Amino acid sequence: MALTITCPICGKRNGYEFRYGGEEKGPRPDEKDLTPESWCDYVHMNKCVAGVQQEWWFHRDGCGSWFTIFRDTTTNLEKETPEAKE
Amino acid sequence: MFFKSKPMWGKKTKLKSSYDVVLIGGGLHSLATAYYLAKEHGITDVAIIEKNYIGYGGAGRNTAIVRANQRTQYNVPLYKEALDLWPVLTKELDYNLMFNNCGNLNLMHSEAAMNAARMNIATAQFHGVESHLIDAKEAKELVPALNISEDITFPIHGAMFHPPGGVVRHDAVVWGLAKGAAKMGVEIHQQTEATGISTKNGKVTAVVTDKGIINTKQVLISAGGYSASLIHGFLGIKLPISVLTIQAMVTQPLKPILDHVVSSGAYHCYANQTLKGEIATGAHMDQWPNYTTLNTAHYIKHQAEALSEFLPALRGVRFMRIWGGLADMTPDMAPIMDGNEQVEGFFMDCGWGYFGFKSCSAVGRHMASFMATNTCPDILKPFALKRYQEHRLMGETAALVNYTPDN
Repeated sequence: MALTITCPICGKRNGYEFRYGGEEKGPRPDEKDLTPESWCDYVHMNKCVAGVQQEWWFHRDGCGSWFTIFRDTTTNLEKETPEAKE
Repeated sequence: MFFKSKPMWGKKTKLKSSYDVVLIGGGLHSLATAYYLAKEHGITDVAIIEKNYIGYGGAGRNTAIVRANQRTQYNVPLYKEALDLWPVLTKELDYNLMFNNCGNLNLMHSEAAMNAARMNIATAQFHGVESHLIDAKEAKELVPALNISEDITFPIHGAMFHPPGGVVRHDAVVWGLAKGAAKMGVEIHQQTEATGISTKNGKVTAVVTDKGIINTKQVLISAGGYSASLIHGFLGIKLPISVLTIQAMVTQPLKPILDHVVSSGAYHCYANQTLKGEIATGAHMDQWPNYTTLNTAHYIKHQAEALSEFLPALRGVRFMRIWGGLADMTPDMAPIMDGNEQVEGFFMDCGWGYFGFKSCSAVGRHMASFMATNTCPDILKPFALKRYQEHRLMGETAALVNYTPDN
């Protein structure tokens, strides 16, 4: 299904201009006290939500910004907030 | 509606309040696991819980291709065993799975790709799997419809020819295994949604469904593309998985033109002719996670362009049906099979991406042994979830085509 993404600079554009940047996982863990578990969790692990998730996008064929949006993974539609449902 | 009538595999039974084993997901990995639990381990008090109907997900949406030409020493033996099992299962189940080992032809479009193919072939030959490198002329002799001229976007340098691969009728495998498992006492509960797993002191105690609570000590989640979301939702276990929609389509039926499975990494496309004459083709995955299972105009156009370049006889042929399914991709393109690790009695079999169909028979057999004996078979050990923490990712990304939203 088609996808449009709203870039904070360029506005609503065709999704194929963008590169998906992964689920929002909070800040990169501090190197002090870093364990293989916490690093693996940050690098690899996903929640794979079937519903609204916060995620990163990169406007590859556009202005080059990195930003997050909320999107419903079951419909590909952007949402204003994490709670927004049909 | 659909399920008023008697299912083909036997009588509809009422969901009991307890089973020895509960399998979440009514796809091929669950069906095969149930079949082998009953057949090889005598465990028949088994319930398969399926939200829709059996074969609704990847089992009925894949393009039926089977092969054992993967990249690494861990994967090849598993797929080889699965490939060897099709004729055996056809007999055992007394059900025609329509295994047609027509052979796979992986086209190579550069000298670098030819070298990658040489490595793949070396792995295959080491494990006793037949696989050869052939040049463009030989490929043309095998598949006369191929365009081996130099004036296409990606001229064909040669191909990796894997004769034992081919196609199996995927629905027949679903029906055959369901019948075979049900005959031995396995219960299949369609239209039943698992909504949670209860644990106590680190052990599984029950599966919660929309039709009631089922007490059990062992549960397997093998729900294809939905596994990662269920496992996180039920037990809070995060997995290194991204769920992508993968698309496929068939053309109108044609006279016989293609008697091999032909695939191309550069064109991002594979094609084979079904027994009905349609050209079944696909490969594209959306580059962002989603559960829509919908097609995109972007890809239908791409598919038509790719096919009409390397199989120019297909120019002007119409697509008749299009569909999508889910592929749960891991960063190393290899699956995750684990059990009794995070929670006692909890097993998982997921991360199969777009190769769950090819492996289902062998994996069902080994997962059944894992669950029955509570000992992980050696062949499954390298697939444990821990490998990501230990930085022991598999080299399967060096295979000929590779997709992930993270690369």
